[in-house]
Amino acid sequence: MAKGAQTSSAKVHFAAAKPRSDIRTVLKGGVLALLVLGVAPFFLDIYTVNILIRALFLATLALTVDLLWGYTGILTFGQSAFFGIGAYACALVFTHWGFGAGWAILALVLGIIAAMAVAALVGWLAFYHGAAPLYGSIVTLALPIVLTQIVFAGGRTTGSSSGLSGFPTYYWSIEIWFWLAGAFLVVVTGLAWLFVRSDMGRVLVAIKENEIRCAYLGIPVPRIKILLMVAAGGIGAIAGFGYAAFTNVVAPELTGFLLGTELLVWVALGGRGTLIGPVLGAIFIDVTSSYLSGSFPFYWKLLVGILFVVVIVALPQGLMPVVTNLWRRLVPGKRSAAEPAKLAAAPKREIAESVDKPLIVRGVHRHFGSLQVLQGIDFEAEKGELLSLVGPNGAGKTTLIRCIADGYERSGGDITIYGKPLGRWAPDRCVALGIGRKFQAANVFATLTVGECLRVARYRLDPPSTWASDTILNLPEAALRIVEETGLGESLATEARHLAHGQKQALELAMVLALEPSIVLLDEPTAGLTRVERERIGTILTSLTERERLSVLLVEHDLDFVRKISSRVIVLHQGRIMLDGSVDEVVGSELIRNIYAGSAQGGRGDPE
Amino acid sequence: MSDGAATLEISALTSGYGEAIVIRGVSMTVAPGEIVALLGKNGMGKSTLLKTVMGFLPAREGKITLRGHDVTRDPPHRIARQAIAYTPQEQAIFQDLSVGDNLRLGQSEASWFEEELARVAQVFPFLKERLGQRAGTLSGGEQKMLLIARALMARPKLMLVDEITEGLQPSIIEQLTEALAVQRERTGVAMLLVEQNVRFALNVADRWAVLKLGEIDDAGKSDAHNAAARIADHLSV
Repeated sequence: MAKGAQTSSAKVHFAAAKPRSDIRTVLKGGVLALLVLGVAPFFLDIYTVNILIRALFLATLALTVDLLWGYTGILTFGQSAFFGIGAYACALVFTHWGFGAGWAILALVLGIIAAMAVAALVGWLAFYHGAAPLYGSIVTLALPIVLTQIVFAGGRTTGSSSGLSGFPTYYWSIEIWFWLAGAFLVVVTGLAWLFVRSDMGRVLVAIKENEIRCAYLGIPVPRIKILLMVAAGGIGAIAGFGYAAFTNVVAPELTGFLLGTELLVWVALGGRGTLIGPVLGAIFIDVTSSYLSGSFPFYWKLLVGILFVVVIVALPQGLMPVVTNLWRRLVPGKRSAAEPAKLAAAPKREIAESVDKPLIVRGVHRHFGSLQVLQGIDFEAEKGELLSLVGPNGAGKTTLIRCIADGYERSGGDITIYGKPLGRWAPDRCVALGIGRKFQAANVFATLTVGECLRVARYRLDPPSTWASDTILNLPEAALRIVEETGLGESLATEARHLAHGQKQALELAMVLALEPSIVLLDEPTAGLTRVERERIGTILTSLTERERLSVLLVEHDLDFVRKISSRVIVLHQGRIMLDGSVDEVVGSELIRNIYAGSAQGGRGDPE
Repeated sequence: MSDGAATLEISALTSGYGEAIVIRGVSMTVAPGEIVALLGKNGMGKSTLLKTVMGFLPAREGKITLRGHDVTRDPPHRIARQAIAYTPQEQAIFQDLSVGDNLRLGQSEASWFEEELARVAQVFPFLKERLGQRAGTLSGGEQKMLLIARALMARPKLMLVDEITEGLQPSIIEQLTEALAVQRERTGVAMLLVEQNVRFALNVADRWAVLKLGEIDDAGKSDAHNAAARIADHLSV
């Protein structure tokens, strides 16, 4: 024990360390890109520059698709709609209202506001509580189709199917337009780069990996997705505005579903989740297609189609990862992976003393159709109590845990947590009440490292930066001890999918404790661990209840383990509480022998 | 297929994920009708060894032979056709299919179904009562039972079983011990079990081996008087 305390205090760092950000890399890359773009018009013919300007605007749009799809996992077919809204805002204002600096700003602002409002509405429809991911994609599929119909229906105002053209606009030289489009792309790419590399960027990947775990870590997933959609919509509208002002033509195709789908193709070819890949992919395909579609209109489409299939089959990650790997091989250098954040102890938090019974469950029942899984469940948990929930397989133990951790789950009855009634709330709001839930099967973020998983778990308590990553990771003492005593401390930079099953269990337990919950719900937290590891975790759990006065509700099959650590045991059988009492009363009871333990008396009986 | 061949023969096997080598030169044999338990702490490579045998991870070096056939480079579905049943640790049932369909999918001969179902239902009675229920609505422990039932019903020659007792109530574990012994008696199936539950492992298996950092560190017979103590030593270090 003394050893554990010593190591954890040795690891305490004070939060003076500076967050790490990629800002220098981004500045260097940005300046380089701007230089290339600055001189490019002087080396290219006018036709190419013309095509490139349009391609640069479309590349910015592709970038927003990568943010949504590549990083966050939102498959959207509707990003063209926001491009179209920006473009039509420009064309409509310049055609019908007037032209000038004031009108141009008005048109831009109107376009951005309209796009953001539509994005918010679509996001709300697509991501409200309980919406399936596929449903979200279908909503984004419908959006461009609806918008195109609106344009068709707009008669003279929108130019219907032929669109609007010949409206007054800025007839700047082609170089100026090129530099504008280029600078816009570089700035947006730079900002997006900082964003996806930041701690918040890791949260996006966590959402893509495992939305349910995110919700149970208190992360407001729908809100984050909607905000991201709104931001992407706004950027798309600016790109559309620039495109329309430059080409002086808008047509219904700009809002269309076809462009929305092409964006996905460009992103997939370039490399999802790489930012640079989709940008280069969009520019490359758009420029090549302008050159080739004139001479081979049919063959070109066919060629893009074949190329797409070949890339998806041969390089499912897209082209960018291939390029980076090649670069790494050709230009060896010290490219040490970023150091994992250093662990530090989070400041101690006191449990509210005013409330007597942290958890009160009254008359809770749950049915699936005609199947009654829980009926008339009544119990209370005290502060500092380690309450074990035992019962045969299928007794309803996990369902009960779920009812406490998700306000939507129960069919009826009341649950009170620290004096507050649990409403029909999504899991992320239950976390705010102090609930932490560990799932039965290890549930972590497969492609995030151990350190990043823990960081994501701190979302509520240490809000992540949107442009940098913190070099210090604050964890409460209990989480630190789990990390140290199960050897996870040496694997902070290891991706969670490479961990052994038992280490994943330990990681998830540490993530749950990182939430600093006051009521901890643990569904077989030690399954897959050896006896020694189980004992260590048992010690940590008992010290949580004894010293920090947390309430722990534990589902467990190993009666030896239950006997050692519990202060009280509840037996659940066929959806009802059959026994509720002290360890000795319950574990030795006839009931347990009959329905549960068999002759073995329930211990795993590992040799001492 | 030669009659004298071992059911499973692994020689000097090395495998891992990405740059990490997890299994280092492991050699072991499982004879027909023999049950071998693979023990060890977390992260020592037990599950990785099963995944490599099953073809989910490529073998870097070494050779895997099943009943005389070299399967070192074979994909999982071909390996399964050698009458190998694998019950992995995570996500292995079809959540959206019914209990009955899950069981049927494991069958190579449809005509066995009723007979085999009657047999596993003696150990897991709930299966027969809930054939039409969606498997995803079963509890965690019930899903585990479904998984092992599916494997038993396939009448395999070799079972690769990854921590099947995890999440099962004690009385079921006891019945399972019995059921595995009966299955072996009846069909002559061989088994390679990965386990944390040492008592269950020693009750079921003829031999045991402890894996440490990807190598076999110790091995012996289950009925040796000091087996439990030796294993406990390895697991507590």
